Amino acid sequence: MTRSARQISITGLGAVSAWGWGTAPLWEGLCSGRTAIRPFDRFPAAEQRTHLAAQAPPPPDCLADALTRWADSAGSAGWDEGSLADRFALAAAREALAGAHPLPPDATGVYFGGSTAGMFESEEVFDRLLRGDADVDLAPLVSQPLDNPAAAVARALGVRGPVVTVSSACASGTQALGLALDALRAGEVEVALVGGADSLCRLTYSGFNALRVVDPEACRPFRDGRAGMSLGEGAGILVLETEERIAERRRRGEAVRVRALLRGVGNSCDAHHMTAPRPDGLGAALATRRALADAGADPDDVVFLNAHGTGTPLNDASEWRGFAQVFGPRAPSLLLTATKASVGHLLGSSGALEAVATVLCLENGVVHPTPGDGAIDPETPAGLVRGAPAPLPRLDSDLHAGRHLAVSTSFGFGGANAAAVFQAPMGAAAGGAGGEESA
Amino acid sequence: MSRRVVISGLGTVGPWGADRAGLMAALTAGAAPLTPFGPAVGRLSGGRDGVDATPLALPPHARWAGVVDGSCLAPWVPGREARRMSRPSRFAVAAARAALADADFAVPDGGLDDLGVILSTAYGPAAVTEELLAQILLDGPEAASPFLFAESVANAPAAQVARLTGARGANLTITQREAGALIAVRRAADAIAAERSERMFAGVADEVIPLLQALFDRFGELAPGDGGDGEVGPVARPFDRRRNGLVTAEGATVLLLEDEGACAARGGRALARVAGGGEAFDATAPRCGWGTGSESLAGALRRTLARAGLRPEDVDLVIAGASGSRAGDRVEALTLRAAWRVAGDGSAPLPPVVAPRGALGALGGGQLAAAVLLAERWWSSEAIGPPDAPFTPDPELALVPHIGPLDDPSDRPGRAPGAPRILVQMLSSGGTASWLVLEALPKGAKWSDRPGAQRNEGDAE
Repeated sequence: MTRSARQISITGLGAVSAWGWGTAPLWEGLCSGRTAIRPFDRFPAAEQRTHLAAQAPPPPDCLADALTRWADSAGSAGWDEGSLADRFALAAAREALAGAHPLPPDATGVYFGGSTAGMFESEEVFDRLLRGDADVDLAPLVSQPLDNPAAAVARALGVRGPVVTVSSACASGTQALGLALDALRAGEVEVALVGGADSLCRLTYSGFNALRVVDPEACRPFRDGRAGMSLGEGAGILVLETEERIAERRRRGEAVRVRALLRGVGNSCDAHHMTAPRPDGLGAALATRRALADAGADPDDVVFLNAHGTGTPLNDASEWRGFAQVFGPRAPSLLLTATKASVGHLLGSSGALEAVATVLCLENGVVHPTPGDGAIDPETPAGLVRGAPAPLPRLDSDLHAGRHLAVSTSFGFGGANAAAVFQAPMGAAAGGAGGEESA
Repeated sequence: MSRRVVISGLGTVGPWGADRAGLMAALTAGAAPLTPFGPAVGRLSGGRDGVDATPLALPPHARWAGVVDGSCLAPWVPGREARRMSRPSRFAVAAARAALADADFAVPDGGLDDLGVILSTAYGPAAVTEELLAQILLDGPEAASPFLFAESVANAPAAQVARLTGARGANLTITQREAGALIAVRRAADAIAAERSERMFAGVADEVIPLLQALFDRFGELAPGDGGDGEVGPVARPFDRRRNGLVTAEGATVLLLEDEGACAARGGRALARVAGGGEAFDATAPRCGWGTGSESLAGALRRTLARAGLRPEDVDLVIAGASGSRAGDRVEALTLRAAWRVAGDGSAPLPPVVAPRGALGALGGGQLAAAVLLAERWWSSEAIGPPDAPFTPDPELALVPHIGPLDDPSDRPGRAPGAPRILVQMLSSGGTASWLVLEALPKGAKWSDRPGAQRNEGDAE
């Protein structure tokens, strides 16, 4: 397997989640050990089988005003016209790009993964149409195509490079990282905004309930007695830059903070079932192995796992078997967290938000806890971080940073599997907060 | 690219049927069969009561589309499988199996870790989604069908292809509207070139439903019928001054891509080589429509060619994405003209440009299938037609689509030596542009029928 030597750094993060608008409330919420999965009112849920979700709060007024001005000044009009998912994406992009301007328009790409786009807004139109309202305006349906959140960001930023949206169910966000990594390594782009945005909607909420895979309580990944997933909404965006661009920015006197490195991405497919994972975890193992190979890394270099960890009995068992194949006897001793237990399952964009969470963990030298009660399932004896953040192993020197890796996994309907490998930034890898920053 | 990537199999499903002969006939005739919607799938689109009962109030011209006759899928998708799939999934599986047969490549019983899938879809499994929403919104969430939910996701066709062919490699679905098909092929070729996969399926699957027609019509994108009374189907006129909208068609095109060496080693035959590709965005485009960024798109096109080691003058044929849209065709033509404008010169002639989406429809991968077919048959005497098609030049676009057989380009002055090169371009509504560069085989290659090529009848249940 060939692998480009070009180093790809993560220099910006943005997030919207049920914990709030921004990475600061996200990190605070993740470290609290509590869950943001609770009763919600995005749409009436009384007739649903379950009644919890991780719904994003409204943006603070000052932020909404700032975002409106930002989108308007860019000529995007995305804030007023866009869907909720578009707004999540714009807000996360604005946060992620703070300090990274100006972007090279022709050498900037936007790579998104998502599942719902404007479905929440479209449902209102469908409802009226289905009830025979011939006068309903179909215009809101233009928010439904899945490329809209990425396009809204690209328009707001004046991007002229590639804009690519992946919708491979819940593997999408991590797959988008792979597409961006390829483009950056090849020199096709110098900067990439990678992520995804999804909102709660009746279609997905009812659909997962129809499959009987939603826990009536907040999801409890890898716990004994877990009963399913919990849905969430929001966005996660990462800014990726080539080492050449970072060097050029530093030559210009800009302070560039490298928050982590994206080392590799791997993909596979179960080719097994439309909604259930392969019980033996072979697909998960293959994607993880491919990600490590793409990173030029060894399983022994991995210090923690941010698992897909939906909380469904089948997923967590399959995923654990995959980890056991890749990491062998070390698997139970690896720190493991499941971000979904805190912010819910963002579907196509979950891999993006979990990548943000993974970078925050590496940067801060701790792994955020996985909320939930109950003992760890003896069938999945993971080193699940519980209660409070767990410190990452300290490194003796930055020379070992290349062996201080985290793996984040994402698996989707239809058996699509993806895994990404992240490396701690210099400095933070030794247990301290903050990445490399120099002018 | 570190490894050379070839297309060794072509599977295509559309209103022309599920065979290449039908596709070539449509290209030669300049039109694929259009049919008016009959009783439609989904409650919104008419359901049991037929399209006349829909609240969508489709005007007559919006009732015409290139619709796949399901019977043509039977040789490729047995009934027991078809019952568990959406229509786009059926199209994709049929096209993927046809591509395997065309390539004369059999997947071993245990499947393959190094066979991946990258498909695209512009609008996903629309009918299934519509019916699922009807269940949820009218009958209550508990009425939601698990089967419909599983098939409503955009990646259902790619997942079904993997499941039914044993493709355990990467499995991605690109959802970048009509630009996605070329992105899918380019990314699949990249995966092989980077030695992450030996073989990849790549292509597109989409369906047309009355609701989609209504939405296109809401934004004035559909070509009106000639007679305006629904008796005569609409006609798309790419690049024509009289162009007034597109005609939709559904279907799927799936290619089998291989490492050139691996293809040759197993005795396979290349239909074309993937020489490069690229993407760009026109940030001036609205969410539904085209922008004015032809100059920047032209720059991205030139960079795409440069990455493939080519200059615009090295391109021998452009397969445009023009569909008859007034704004879309305009930005497409201006992009091509700008890309071929040599600095300080302005006189570089465009190579022949064809616009097969006018004949094959604006969805479903007809353009991609046509590109591969024309690469394979470059040296044949088959003509793109019809020769007597009326065309009124648009002075602003200054572009007349090519009619007739393809010429030998080797003697063209200034052209770099090599096999014929085809640039495939797609500028989709919403601002995304994608390009794919294909290389036909050199003159003298033999084009013979292969025993595994697409079947029309046979082993269906």
